[in-house]
Amino acid sequence: MRKITMRTALMEALNEEMERDDTTVLFGEDVGKFGGINAVTKGLYEKFGGTRVFDTPIAEPTIVAAAVGMAITGNARPIPELQFGDFVGIAFDEVFNKMGKWRFMHGGQMEMPVTLRLPIGIAGGAGPEHSQSPQALFMHGPGLQIVIPSTPYDAKGLLKTAIRDNNAVLFFEHKVLYDMKGEVPEEEYLIPFGKADIKKEGDDVTIIATALQVHTALEAAEELSAKGIEVEVVDPRTLAPLDMETILQSVKKTGRVLIVHEEPKTGGSGAEIAAQIQERALFDLSAPIKRLGSPDVPIAQSIYLEQFYTPSKEQIITAVDELMEY
Amino acid sequence: MAKTYEKEIKLNDYSKDVLTDFYKTMAKIRKFDENLIRLMQEGKVSGFYHSGIGSEGLSAGSIRQNLRDEDYIFYNHRGCNQKIAKGVPLSKIYGDFLGTIEGTTRGLGAGIVHSADPARGVLGQAGTIGSQLGISVGTAYTSKLTGTDQVTVVYFGDGAASREMLHGSLNWAGLYKLPVIYICENNEYAISCHVSETHAVKENIADWAEGYGIPNCVVDGNDVLLMHEVVKEAVERAKRGEGPTFIEAQTFRHRGHFEGDPYDYVDVEVLQGWKDKKDPIKNFAAKLMLEKIVSEEELESINAEIDSEIAEAIEKAESAPLPDPKRIYEGLFA
Repeated sequence: MRKITMRTALMEALNEEMERDDTTVLFGEDVGKFGGINAVTKGLYEKFGGTRVFDTPIAEPTIVAAAVGMAITGNARPIPELQFGDFVGIAFDEVFNKMGKWRFMHGGQMEMPVTLRLPIGIAGGAGPEHSQSPQALFMHGPGLQIVIPSTPYDAKGLLKTAIRDNNAVLFFEHKVLYDMKGEVPEEEYLIPFGKADIKKEGDDVTIIATALQVHTALEAAEELSAKGIEVEVVDPRTLAPLDMETILQSVKKTGRVLIVHEEPKTGGSGAEIAAQIQERALFDLSAPIKRLGSPDVPIAQSIYLEQFYTPSKEQIITAVDELMEY
Repeated sequence: MAKTYEKEIKLNDYSKDVLTDFYKTMAKIRKFDENLIRLMQEGKVSGFYHSGIGSEGLSAGSIRQNLRDEDYIFYNHRGCNQKIAKGVPLSKIYGDFLGTIEGTTRGLGAGIVHSADPARGVLGQAGTIGSQLGISVGTAYTSKLTGTDQVTVVYFGDGAASREMLHGSLNWAGLYKLPVIYICENNEYAISCHVSETHAVKENIADWAEGYGIPNCVVDGNDVLLMHEVVKEAVERAKRGEGPTFIEAQTFRHRGHFEGDPYDYVDVEVLQGWKDKKDPIKNFAAKLMLEKIVSEEELESINAEIDSEIAEAIEKAESAPLPDPKRIYEGLFA
């Protein structure tokens, strides 16, 4: 099968969905002629024209508010982008209260087909406000679906599903993954929300990982396998809805759980996943649930220091070894 | 600086039906409000309500005869005035306040905000004041995207005009020439703060629009026909593809910000002056009778009709059941 980068996979998804549905409209800072600072929207302006693909002022609250306004008319399917996922803080009310709650608080009378794309993650010394992974904040916000792909295949299938969905989607893209290649078929496919993917099977320890950490976990799994420990790597792919069934089945098999993400450990998505596991499968566990996240301090600007925020292969191996001691 | 909108208005230029409709809409809004306050006093509805009494002309004049069902409005914090003018059934609005399933939210409860009637272009309202300013550029952009002549009218008070979102919204509307009409209902007070204490303006709030290249004016918001004319021009401009208009409509609220507000921060004489001399309904009725367009008896009969319409609406809203507690689990997702 052909191998393409996640950037190309996302670009294909946008292209195909914009071709398929002429009510789609894409906008954000520098997404038009320039093609986006991550070059994900390149060529769309030329193909679909300046009304359907347009550059906006630097105004995140207005970008998201406008998307909400377009969506509730029932006549448009907006795909806005925030240049950095961190900027969601600027538009917090629009995301948390409007995108997520508008339909509910008006009695379910309108739909919210908005796919908000948010590039996230530590990459290249971008500092404390251009490197974060804020997705867990929105697990606490009813009405928002949270997608976080780890491979080009997942990214394409999930983005196509997101655009077609009639509810709000926050689509988090880890910047380091843009250049990562993976197998993506030529033919069309969709990936449903709420369906975790087992990236590697194993009987000893369940590692639940998202985005870049899926790859770190897979690297660790290879080394662990060499010394006879078989880990199972589960990628939830969407944090809301969250596929607890697949996670619980894996936990039942292994009895040992490590959750890894780049989000700060405290209040990260791992906290909720761990809580649900102990609520529903405490007696399947042979060891306490372990979590690895970034330290609970702001991300340093220094490109030297930032490497110590991202959970490493070595940390994962150590954590798995500790779990195996039980 | 924003000019004051002036136009010589002759009642004879309007049909009797149109003039009667303006009167009836204003009277209906006021009676709706008075009856809602009664329901609060009876303990049936919470006092978390912002009365629109004293500003009925602004909403009736801007909406009636100017907007179609397919035109969008975003109402303000005294938004029952605009919802009623746009034709949302009274029983539905009362139902939202009473929390019965007759309400537009089918029992979730709403009123000041969150009532919606998409079939009549009423797409809801945010609880965070002024957020509608951003959402309205989205509905207006959709008209451009789909090539329709639908206009969006967004209402907000002088208080909401302080929100940063106004500037984001004006920038987009001016930049993309969007068919959106801003109506700033300036009643001078954001709860207790006078507009002069919270806004850095040359003279009027509408002056801000000038900086964005948006046609703007100040108008007497208590003159229903003047409101009708100024908004009519703005709607025509929007439909011609010439973009947004900013109208600052001056008015004053007869009651406090919320029911129970001591309202002691306004000068008693100033308030009395607005009630005595600038009441939009009283003045319009006097004008209609002076020019012998309607008789006192006709107005009395219109009022009696409204009274029974309101009694029926309340009866319908009150007799509808409260929702099943499971209602909260319906409708989060489509």
